Amino acid sequence: MVSKEEIERVAKLMRIEIDDHVVHVDRVQKMIEYFDILDKAGIETQELIVQEQKIENLREDKFIPYEDKLIDKLKNYKGTYIKAPKMV
Amino acid sequence: MSLAISAIKYVNEIKNGNLTAEEFISKTFERIKKIDDNLHAYLSLNDNAIEQARQIDKRIKAKENVGVCLGMPISIKDNICVKETKTTCGSKVLENFVAPYDATVITKLKAEDAIIIGKTNLDEFAMGLTTEFSAYGPSKNPWNAEYVPGGSSGGSAVSVSAQECIASLGSDTGGSVRNPASFCSIVGFKPTYGLVSRFGLISYSNSIEQIGPMTRTVEDNAFLLNIISGLDPNDNTTIDNKNVDYLSNIDAGVEGKKIGIISEMTKGIDKDVSSATNDAVSQFEKLGAKIDEISLEMVEYSVASYYTITATEAGSNLARYDNLRYGFDFDLEGYEFNSYITKARKNFGPEVTRRMILGGFVPSAGHAGKYFLKALKVKNKLTTEINEVFKKVDLLIAPTVPILPFKLGEKVDDPVALFLVDINTVTANLTGKPSISVPFQITNGLPIGIQILGKPMEDKLVLQAAHALEKTTNLPEVPI
Repeated sequence: MVSKEEIERVAKLMRIEIDDHVVHVDRVQKMIEYFDILDKAGIETQELIVQEQKIENLREDKFIPYEDKLIDKLKNYKGTYIKAPKMV
Repeated sequence: MSLAISAIKYVNEIKNGNLTAEEFISKTFERIKKIDDNLHAYLSLNDNAIEQARQIDKRIKAKENVGVCLGMPISIKDNICVKETKTTCGSKVLENFVAPYDATVITKLKAEDAIIIGKTNLDEFAMGLTTEFSAYGPSKNPWNAEYVPGGSSGGSAVSVSAQECIASLGSDTGGSVRNPASFCSIVGFKPTYGLVSRFGLISYSNSIEQIGPMTRTVEDNAFLLNIISGLDPNDNTTIDNKNVDYLSNIDAGVEGKKIGIISEMTKGIDKDVSSATNDAVSQFEKLGAKIDEISLEMVEYSVASYYTITATEAGSNLARYDNLRYGFDFDLEGYEFNSYITKARKNFGPEVTRRMILGGFVPSAGHAGKYFLKALKVKNKLTTEINEVFKKVDLLIAPTVPILPFKLGEKVDDPVALFLVDINTVTANLTGKPSISVPFQITNGLPIGIQILGKPMEDKLVLQAAHALEKTTNLPEVPI
């Protein structure tokens, strides 16, 4: 069983503050417990299929001018940079 | 003038001069004003819609070229970008986000002179199946306002069902078009993965989600699919459909077709839903189809696989919401970088927060082998199973949802009970198959839909079968 401490640790890494344990940790724990059903699926020998996309099928890597200057629409844009909070 | 007309009838009425786009849009707005305070299908409305309709009428009168939609009012789920329009995703995090460009599906609709009448309510970031997780409050089922309309494209389904527009576009990650279509008695289609561009759809779980039409009739669905499908250089997962006309020959029927009924989706379900499914099977038999029971063993594990994969993709997709480049008003001053982002993320609602935590947990070091890799293996095995089945049958059927619509608040606190409502719809997403929900019965005043799945790129056959089933029904109009 996944412990509440493990869930809280992941939340912290994801920069999520948990103030209501019933609403967040308890329900996430319930969800993860349900996922344990995957242990019974009998898929140990199943291969993982990976879809490959050939590079020539990707769209051309070239600059396409846009009618508006999208960067101007961003929040906290200061002409040449996006202002962000200080990093300590 | 009735607002309860199909898209096809609307087009004919406009062409014959029996109706103007302005008249129709004006009446539609009157209805929205009258009923939407209660139903809450819309999050925002297009203030320029009547003027746009007037301009289209002028062009029709002047015999200029006008697109096939002829000013038809279409609503759009609020996770699809419409240029210079708020696109909130049902979230406070994006409450002030104005999309700087049109999604490809919107570009295509506008090119055919559809009028985007408004943006519809959804569970926050499409994570839910009742709209109760919308940060702006739930939508209500027009068949009985005490009941959920389904979700996450619940607002779209309500807007079509309650005659607040002619058609809508929703998005379907695990049933989000088909589930509310079933609960509100409309047609909802999740096309083959890649048939419709996702460019401009705000990502939740890109590897399985699709935009799909939500309409009053199957013909209308084919009409819209003709417009929105096809290759898009901005979405590398799109497939060339060779301009298939989904509307032509829609009367082809199902005579001689082999249809499999999925046993894992019909056992242990609500008795009224089970009875409706048996009736649908009988109807298909009367239409000349041969029905066989088939088994997909992995369906039992599909919901766990689905939620593990979608949470993982959501954890990654939603990591971009740091409120620095776009988002809500929240001053940077006085905050350290990490504490600012943590604080900003408190604007996510509880379900999104939970799924982000899940999405960090299930693929993380030490847990990926137990959860994420197993989920991918279940997805692969389910795909293998369904591909084998499709060597023997042309189509598959099952009830869209194993239970009837339920009351608002009834399941909102039980995450696993909510998960299991998705059990019949996630298979189509995990395996990339086309799947439609057709309104089939009304039992005790609540709708039941039947789901039809097909082989990839056989969307046309799915629509033909849905049309055949639809013609056997005679359902009442929504009582509102």
